[in-house]
Amino acid sequence: MGLKVAIVGCGKIADAHVEEARKIPGVEVAAVCDQEPIMAEQLAVRYAIPRWYTDCAVMLAAESPNVLHITTPPQSHLALTRQAVAAGCHVFMEKPVALVHADVEALIAAVVEAKKKLTVNYWPNFEVQALELHRLYEDGVLGSAVHIESYTGYDLAGEFGLALRRDPDHWVHRLPGKLFQNMMDHVLNKIVPFLDDDDPYIHAIAYKRDGGGAESGTNEILDELRVIIKGKQTSAYATFCANARPVGQTLRVYGTKNTAHLDFNARTLVLERKQSFPSALGRLRPPFQVARDYLRQGMRNVGRFRRHQFHFFDGMRTLLSEFYECIEKDTDPPIAYSEILRVSALMERIFAQVYPEVGA
Amino acid sequence: MKILVTGAGGFLGVHVVERLLAHGHSDIRCFLRDKSKAARLETLATASPGCNLEICYGNLKSKGDCARAVADAEIVIHLAAGLKGAPAELFVDSVVTARNLLEALGARTEPVIAKTRVVLVSSFGVYGVVPLGRGARVDESTPLEEFPERRDPYSHSKLRQEQLVREYQQKLGFELVVLRPGVIYGPGGGAFSNRVGIQVGPVFVHMGGSNLLPLSYVVNCAEAIVVAATHPDAARQAFNVHDDEMPTASEYLRAYKKHVKKLRSVRLPYFATRFLAGRLEGYHRRSQGQLPAIITRYKAAAAWSGNTFSNAKLRGLGWRPLVSTQDGMMRTFEYLRAQSVGK
Repeated sequence: MGLKVAIVGCGKIADAHVEEARKIPGVEVAAVCDQEPIMAEQLAVRYAIPRWYTDCAVMLAAESPNVLHITTPPQSHLALTRQAVAAGCHVFMEKPVALVHADVEALIAAVVEAKKKLTVNYWPNFEVQALELHRLYEDGVLGSAVHIESYTGYDLAGEFGLALRRDPDHWVHRLPGKLFQNMMDHVLNKIVPFLDDDDPYIHAIAYKRDGGGAESGTNEILDELRVIIKGKQTSAYATFCANARPVGQTLRVYGTKNTAHLDFNARTLVLERKQSFPSALGRLRPPFQVARDYLRQGMRNVGRFRRHQFHFFDGMRTLLSEFYECIEKDTDPPIAYSEILRVSALMERIFAQVYPEVGA
Repeated sequence: MKILVTGAGGFLGVHVVERLLAHGHSDIRCFLRDKSKAARLETLATASPGCNLEICYGNLKSKGDCARAVADAEIVIHLAAGLKGAPAELFVDSVVTARNLLEALGARTEPVIAKTRVVLVSSFGVYGVVPLGRGARVDESTPLEEFPERRDPYSHSKLRQEQLVREYQQKLGFELVVLRPGVIYGPGGGAFSNRVGIQVGPVFVHMGGSNLLPLSYVVNCAEAIVVAATHPDAARQAFNVHDDEMPTASEYLRAYKKHVKKLRSVRLPYFATRFLAGRLEGYHRRSQGQLPAIITRYKAAAAWSGNTFSNAKLRGLGWRPLVSTQDGMMRTFEYLRAQSVGK
């Protein structure tokens, strides 16, 4: 693989893009760009990236990268994507993809028209355990999906949370779906592959629970969101939760045969199986089965750690590898555009319920 | 004479405002981002009826807010900076904000820029102490860090901030005073600087040992800032800020254990720290960052090289500590004990 990568947007998440892209053999991060010269410079200096720019057009003309990673706030994604594909680049996009669903459609249309490829950084779905869950589903181990529960926690006092909490003008506060829009991709993209309906019933409620320590101008951030989704045969609960501890990220797939529970933080996937033993014996067995599953998962994780495959953003490296490979082999991108569009459409409907005044 | 204090609601900021009032300054603009941190400033304003203590809320990321902040100010004491968070966030909070503030200063017509003094509160972290070797004396003539990317992101961002302010000084021609505090401590602050050691899970790994801790009690630090901000001889100078008496890291840790709470700690001598740092660096490289290189040989050499420090230049301006190190530590430990009991 021999790919030249450039990055536009030098905020916090750009660090992960540099680190993960560089782990892939043959990939060179050639240049970075940010409208704010101090930010472009600091990223280039910290990672010894040869060149930095303050104008994306200038960077694209000077560097001719194969792939542009767009890690700017979503307000600029559509324009930057058009600029990138016009310059002959494929696009690796940070979520959220765009402000509104129509922009996501326009963005994908621009990529398709230019015969380029795009993918979005839905990295948790490319963790080893998430891929394993999808294999189990495709192999029929779970049966068909009856109900999905996708839960994502958030820490408003953490590194990312503090940044938007301290700054009332942070770009997240200007999103139509505000804090939720920055996170709901990761909640919904785990549900969408199992959902059997493009236009499901949706009921969303949001509220503010956080009571203390909020900083000026951000005291009114809604920080809890619950969504009920009902497709033709499959339903789902989507939960965004900023107050429960520990900050979790889980996916539970209730199938007609078995149920799978995936914990993204603990990196475990366990099956809850239909019991064949009768009565009390059937109730004695499950804890041992689950304990054995957890032990196996733990040992596998130790193995991955020993092989240096246990990084925080391992899923992102896998996704990037698959994306870069699809560019080289001219195959389909690792995430279908239809899936990106369905996530975006769901998000827009949820935000219309939560923040009706924004939609109006 | 209007004096602007940025970061006025912070740990150090409130004390700077108090010391300005104590020195008889009566026209002070306190600029802060977080309204919840204004309580002590409001109390000061109420207690100082003859003074114009203006509390001004804003964000230095906003150019408009910066323009409001610097309007009419003849002295700008710039304390606001990023202390924690991701590296990018530190650069935004320390460097981008400083640039915005100075741009606003440059765009102003009155008071004349040449008669405006900018007082930058920088950090000991900007010094390039590694090439000096073990036991070297660090004073204001010590060269600045050549390889900031090898240091912690905080030191890196503070060095870039100081460099940027110097670039703007050349461009705009204001009077610049730079203060470089060591470890600022006191009630309201943290318990340990990295110079003492770091908490790893349930164990405090004590690497500071016999290294001197360049402590600066928050009131003494605020006093130093006010003295330097208003002293005519301070123009175009940099000053180290630390108290006269400096305990070793071991002495500090012992006192903490005695007066605050028990702490499970492991002492790591310098050679062992260097050895482990080397192993960690190697592992970090081989594993492509599976564990963070929180300590490297370079960082270890920067923090625990047995340096000595000098505040002679600051004392030359007439600054004297208002609180002895003994008293400062006791007050701090009392606060930390109360916090610990509260938890």
